[in-house]
Amino acid sequence: MDTILRAVMGYFILLLVVRVLRRRAGSQMTLFEFVLIFLMGGVIILATVGPDRSVTNCTCAVIAVAALHRFVAWAKMRSARVGTIIDGTPLVIVRHCEWQTDVLRAMGIREEDIAAAARAHGITSLQDIDYAVLERNGRITVVRKARPMS
Amino acid sequence: MSHNASLKPVGDSVPKIDNELAVGEDLDFQRRWWRFEKVVWGAFLVIIICDLVGLFGRGWLARAEVSTPDKAFSVEYEWIERANTSSTMTLRFGTAAIRDGKVDVYVSDSVVQDLGAEQIMPQPLMSVVGQGGNVYRFPANGGTASVRIKLQPVTPGIHVFRVQSAGCVPVTARVYVLP
Repeated sequence: MDTILRAVMGYFILLLVVRVLRRRAGSQMTLFEFVLIFLMGGVIILATVGPDRSVTNCTCAVIAVAALHRFVAWAKMRSARVGTIIDGTPLVIVRHCEWQTDVLRAMGIREEDIAAAARAHGITSLQDIDYAVLERNGRITVVRKARPMS
Repeated sequence: MSHNASLKPVGDSVPKIDNELAVGEDLDFQRRWWRFEKVVWGAFLVIIICDLVGLFGRGWLARAEVSTPDKAFSVEYEWIERANTSSTMTLRFGTAAIRDGKVDVYVSDSVVQDLGAEQIMPQPLMSVVGQGGNVYRFPANGGTASVRIKLQPVTPGIHVFRVQSAGCVPVTARVYVLP
């Protein structure tokens, strides 16, 4: 019983902390972020299983977290608002060739991040970007400016 | 070939930017979320400061002391404890509490049951169970004596304990055990 409650608390505490850490542009984890994930995961598992490190207790904790994760996924599917709270919302960072500076500043994104995303889409100049969108998974999607018909 | 799967035509349900790019951006929500993030980080900062000064136990502000009016008997303890984390309660006896090279002290059951007393140092010469607690007798050479009780509470909550040295008024205190 205790383990299930601790697992629920641990899940939501970790979810909140990870959620307020903000998305990092590029979505790929750096070594620095690996340290964060392993350390936070390791610390929260200690509180979840407590002094009882039996296979039974750890199995119950893992199953509780899995069930909770499935429940949250179901809630996200049922409600767009829950999905927005858990995963965030896509954010337009370039709109008709104009930087959305307040979004860039608030999300800690630099122009170099968008240039990197543009290169991945085969765009060599920032002036060729019509839209750039910071997706919910941290990836930047770039839409090329339409070329005039010749 | 037929199949019974329910079908739904693809619609343009995702809100568009400038009526041309389906993004589903919700900037109003995001602005509220940024404000919420600031509040959360403020709360995190408060939590860190509280932890540093000991308001969550095991620190400067968690330590407390209660004593009899004549200071013949005092108890040092942590008024905020953490479940499953050890701490020490120290009972100090002045000359007025020592009789014939011995001290007798009553410790309420809550010290053992709620606060999880695990070890008592030095070993008592004798112990008697009853009256909602235990009475211990310790050897005491010299003018003062002290006894240490190692605690490790298991159950979070508010626990009241009572200790009394023979010939002194009882001291009562409250301990908050955090989960």
